[in-house]
Amino acid sequence: MNVGDKLILKKNNVSDFFYSLQEQMQLIAPKQRFAGDVVFDLVNSPDEIVWEYGHDIYPPGKRYLFPHYEDMFSYRQGEQIAIDVAADVPRQAIVGIRSCDVTAVRFQERFFSSPIVDPFYKTRSDNTVLFSLVCNEPPKKDCFCICCDAGPYLESGFDVQLTDLGDRFLYEIGSEKGLDVSEPREKYLEASTEQDIAERKRIELHADSLFQTASYIAKAIIYITSDEVPDEVWEELGSTCFRCAACTNLCPICTCYTVDDRPEPDGSFTRCRSWDSCQYAGFTREASGHNPRPTFGSRVKRRFYHKASFQYIMRDGRHGCVGCGRCVSSCLTKLDLPSVVKRIRRAMHDYIEPISKPTAFLE
Amino acid sequence: MSTEVQAPTLTGAKPRNMWGVTGVPTGNLYVPMPAVIEKIIVETPDTKTFRLRLEDPKHAEWFTWEPGQFVEVSVFGAGEAPIGFASSPLERSWFELTVVNRGKVTGLMHELKEGDRVGIRGPLGNCWPLEDIKGKDILIISGGCGLAPLRPAILYILANREDYGEFWLLYGARTPADINYKYDLVEWEKRNDFHVLQTVDVGDESWTGNVGVVTTLLDQVKLDAANAVALTCGPPIMIKFATLALVKMGFSEDRVVTSLERYMKCGVGKCGHCCVNHVYLCTEGPVFTYAQLQEFPETRA
Repeated sequence: MNVGDKLILKKNNVSDFFYSLQEQMQLIAPKQRFAGDVVFDLVNSPDEIVWEYGHDIYPPGKRYLFPHYEDMFSYRQGEQIAIDVAADVPRQAIVGIRSCDVTAVRFQERFFSSPIVDPFYKTRSDNTVLFSLVCNEPPKKDCFCICCDAGPYLESGFDVQLTDLGDRFLYEIGSEKGLDVSEPREKYLEASTEQDIAERKRIELHADSLFQTASYIAKAIIYITSDEVPDEVWEELGSTCFRCAACTNLCPICTCYTVDDRPEPDGSFTRCRSWDSCQYAGFTREASGHNPRPTFGSRVKRRFYHKASFQYIMRDGRHGCVGCGRCVSSCLTKLDLPSVVKRIRRAMHDYIEPISKPTAFLE
Repeated sequence: MSTEVQAPTLTGAKPRNMWGVTGVPTGNLYVPMPAVIEKIIVETPDTKTFRLRLEDPKHAEWFTWEPGQFVEVSVFGAGEAPIGFASSPLERSWFELTVVNRGKVTGLMHELKEGDRVGIRGPLGNCWPLEDIKGKDILIISGGCGLAPLRPAILYILANREDYGEFWLLYGARTPADINYKYDLVEWEKRNDFHVLQTVDVGDESWTGNVGVVTTLLDQVKLDAANAVALTCGPPIMIKFATLALVKMGFSEDRVVTSLERYMKCGVGKCGHCCVNHVYLCTEGPVFTYAQLQEFPETRA
């Protein structure tokens, strides 16, 4: 068995396969909860896994690798300061995660490991294997991963990728980590045939043909990078923002966090980090009251500068959007990426005279 | 997309030691080193200088820093705040931090007594390019508590006075009571190789010096702008007007060096609060030249 192998996992073996995996690590997978909602959660038995689900709005990759609230260490004051660093995390497999979220996890892994390695993220990501599931069709009309090079299937970057072929899964091994969990379970896997690969290709083309939302992000990258979008446009966009921060909290790529010292009943304190959002006014407000980003517009501008500027693409290796469509589903005032990109393109037509050169920054 | 476009090169001097880059003596980036408050100096009604010594000799041995760098101070029970070094870099066994009582962390820090403990993560950030500007005339402009991150640079230059040319300090405070390091300023004014000019925004009956914002002192400065470097730190509005005045005096944009400040949490380029455009102030700043700041739309004057 090698990295790059394309194998077959028959559906009647799926249960045994994951029972055997569960002996090694806990399984996080889509599961029926709350009046029929399917959300990612710890599963007690692999039979609970819901294989035909759409899309979890709460990004599973980010949630289990960079939790919403994460205790860093606790300390106690006394004669000395006693510091207790949070214990190690269990090994886990995230099963059924979508391609967009896998791409986002790879983005965050890169961000949290360069140039300085974040110890908490590293421990979690070292202990996590991703079993991604190809979208046979776009789960939602809001999905636009196809515009962001992040789905609906992956060519690389996955540990194990599963494609539903009816009575079987195509089982692709994409990394050493994926190989490590596959080799001990060789008896459940078999070789794939040319028909299987052809069927997979048919599914790819079919899925590609069904996308409805488009982001045309490349155009926005040029305008945002060269800072050509007039401030009036940002202020107009920002004027509708509710500051709910759903866009950044649900974004599988966003990494910003804040740090708090939480008092415990026993007199000690826990330093914990939790997701923060650049859309809050307090994100940059200093103790003196001075705020370098004082307006709604400047904060919306900030969010899109981080998502779609060439400066950040140079740092992070790709633009900060995987096209999962969560901001589209969650923002009440259409400050999602495809809409903003569309409005920037229109605004550039309305505000800027035709003599301006969008490629000025290239010279 | 063409690969010719490069992120602007940042040339704020590279320190010898940076938390997370050159090691972490506590083994975890986010775990601070305990330090004891040895002495507290009251500077102004809302400002105190804390002299700190790292408790663990292993930490103290690892800990070296350069003027312009800063630390994250954990005030246990409140949280962390970024504070710049304010003492002489030649003193290895202790260091000083000057803290204005403004928020939750600094408020609780002001209640601490000598002998109490705080946590230190650092040194963080880059530093003043003191090696690169040897042989040049130096003009320092600072306002209020903005003198704190420049004090190590001043003490370093005074200790190596023969390496530098003319040396000027312009210092402005809101009122005479708000002047930091009065004990230093008295000594510095006595020296004949260091020109110190002070001003206050609002004087009182005992004040006989200049009144007005710090940039009004620039007329009295006699320097050849072509061979001089300006270091500035202070409130954002002061930095802006000082920089514009200096450029008008003939300073080239890469000879005006400034230290920025931002709300900050992690200090290691992860939490995202201190980003100025695509640059993380905590690991690539806080010291930038005016020429570099021109590259960032967010700080364009």
